[in-house]
Amino acid sequence: MTETGRYLYAIARGLDPQAMTGVPALGGGHLDVVEHLGLAAVVSSVDLDEYGEEGLRRNLENLSWLEEVARGHDTVVQAVAEQSPTAPLRLATICHDDDGVRARLEEWHDALEEVLDRIEGRREWSVKVFARPRPAPAAAESTAGGASAGGAAYLQRKKAESQAREADESSAAAIADEVHHSLAGRSVAGRRLPPQDPRLTGRTDRMLHNGAYLVPAEEGDAFAAVVEELRAAHPDVTIESAGPWPPYSFATLEQS
Amino acid sequence: MTGAAGEVEQRSVGSTDGRQIALVDLLDRLLGTGVVLAGDVVISLAGVDLVQVKLHALITSIREDMVQPR
Amino acid sequence: MSESPRIFPQRLETDAESVERDLFKLVLTVIELVRQLMEKQALRRVDEGDLTDEQIEGLGTGLMHLEQAMEDLKSRYDLTAADLNIDLGPLGPLLSE
Repeated sequence: MTETGRYLYAIARGLDPQAMTGVPALGGGHLDVVEHLGLAAVVSSVDLDEYGEEGLRRNLENLSWLEEVARGHDTVVQAVAEQSPTAPLRLATICHDDDGVRARLEEWHDALEEVLDRIEGRREWSVKVFARPRPAPAAAESTAGGASAGGAAYLQRKKAESQAREADESSAAAIADEVHHSLAGRSVAGRRLPPQDPRLTGRTDRMLHNGAYLVPAEEGDAFAAVVEELRAAHPDVTIESAGPWPPYSFATLEQS
Repeated sequence: MTGAAGEVEQRSVGSTDGRQIALVDLLDRLLGTGVVLAGDVVISLAGVDLVQVKLHALITSIREDMVQPR
Repeated sequence: MSESPRIFPQRLETDAESVERDLFKLVLTVIELVRQLMEKQALRRVDEGDLTDEQIEGLGTGLMHLEQAMEDLKSRYDLTAADLNIDLGPLGPLLSE
């Protein structure tokens, strides 16, 4: 019989364990709630072949495994967040058994209370800014056109192109800053996340800003209106927003 | 060339409407430092990995040579 | 878990037929990198102002021909600028444009 561990999805306050029945757990298991010191950890049993140190090292490099687990994890987190203030955990936090879970709850207790206070009644919004794709000068064209003009003219043209690119980049950076400051000013907290790899997003336009904002649940519409204003003010970039989500980016504990 | 990542984004596996989070956004948040796609190129022939080209070192040496002041 | 997972999507899957094209792509990419670095360096030298008009003209003409030669090579194998841009992961794409 293979060894199992307890996979932790999230920690909540005032959670009714009955509300978790019917929510699918990873690997076809079922969810359990481990309560300790006023906090409730939502867990399920998982195979250590897959989720132990060795298994994780292998599986974390497999994008389809990651996708399945991330989705399953998020399904549980969203279900819990619908019930109570919830601190989502990062992927693959495993304890040996329920005693281990309780030990974590004790260890993290104060930090968790702080996090739960911070996110209670609040949701995360994602706002991303993309540069509008710049039409690239067709090298063949520009070369043929300049053939008669000579070497010095060619260099001048290349210099002008390089300067135009730099100017584009600084104005793009300035817009990203402005968007972030406007939005951070209208939310409880704002964070800049690293830009995302185009191979994962499938986008060809350059990501200038990847922001996460913590917004009171009842102010979601007002926040969306601010995003609309920014969109209108900056037609030279693409601004995308998504939400409300569970506050993943604002609930992390320092230990991992 | 076989690429694993590009198509994943389009698959929609989620229950709640409006709450569907793009995979890349989820991974950013669920993994400590996000997903890093390694940049090395593996050249394989007939399914056998032959050469792993580490391009970092090559680029560094070229750049240093190119920017030597006269 | 302090290290981020690394996924290797870049696999040049060659078979007997595409060997030539795929390896050519790799070679062209490196050549294109050198060409771009040369252009950047040339612009820097022109800015520094220590070149004669003749030297500038010669430099520009040479680079212009180099760019044209690259275009010819790319079209021979039906490759676009994007095809040549190998991604170095955390270091970003190989070529800046």
